[in-house]
Amino acid sequence: MTTALTQGLERIPDQIGYLVISEEGVLASAGELENDEHTAGVIMQMVRTACRFRLHGTADPPFKRMSVMFEDYVYAVTISGQKVFVVKRQNNQREPVIV
Amino acid sequence: MGCCFTTDINQGDSVKPLIPDPSLDSTSGSEQNTGTLPSNHTDEEDQQKSILRRAALSIIDVSAVVSQGLEQREYMDRARQYSTKLEVLNRTLSQKNPVFLPSLTSQPHQVLAADLVTYSDLQQLSKIAAYAYSAISQIKVDAKEDVVVQFSI
Repeated sequence: MTTALTQGLERIPDQIGYLVISEEGVLASAGELENDEHTAGVIMQMVRTACRFRLHGTADPPFKRMSVMFEDYVYAVTISGQKVFVVKRQNNQREPVIV
Repeated sequence: MGCCFTTDINQGDSVKPLIPDPSLDSTSGSEQNTGTLPSNHTDEEDQQKSILRRAALSIIDVSAVVSQGLEQREYMDRARQYSTKLEVLNRTLSQKNPVFLPSLTSQPHQVLAADLVTYSDLQQLSKIAAYAYSAISQIKVDAKEDVVVQFSI
């Protein structure tokens, strides 16, 4: 089961680590997020809070992906089938240089 | 599989303590303290023996029981029965826990692999947040009159 979950995550461009989390705990982890239960816990809290937001009284959460952006890397988070998928990707975007 | 139970029909015995409390027995209390050691020793031995005897009478040796052996059909029937019972229980258990995690997408890998938030979007977001912060910090109370007033009656 874990290979089906993680195969797609491995192929994400610029990924330097990932986590697959369920209500019971971490199902899979790799790269810089390997065994990182602390980050998993923090992200679960953030995602649960974000899922409570609603736009104009709509039934579903108003987003598909949550991005936690730092200077050099980004945590991209989404939920599918009762599992939280987290990917740590390199953030190569910089302030555009005006020549 | 097996089970253990006592064949002792007399319910009163099940609450009687195995070793009688000497402090409750008022007649022999003080005498036992001054009594000779060897007699105490044999008393204890007798008590231990009687406890062992009672335990041996109550124990049923499960391993010695010859199992009858289930027929294949009976075995399959029971297995099916148990698994349907478990399914019902699992369903009721999962219904009890409300769904905390809504599904945001059916294509998690696609969504996560999509382009990241652009730098210009991020700058715009930071600007909007800064405006909101400054607006909130400018909220203040405009005191027009005294809140507490003296009534002259």
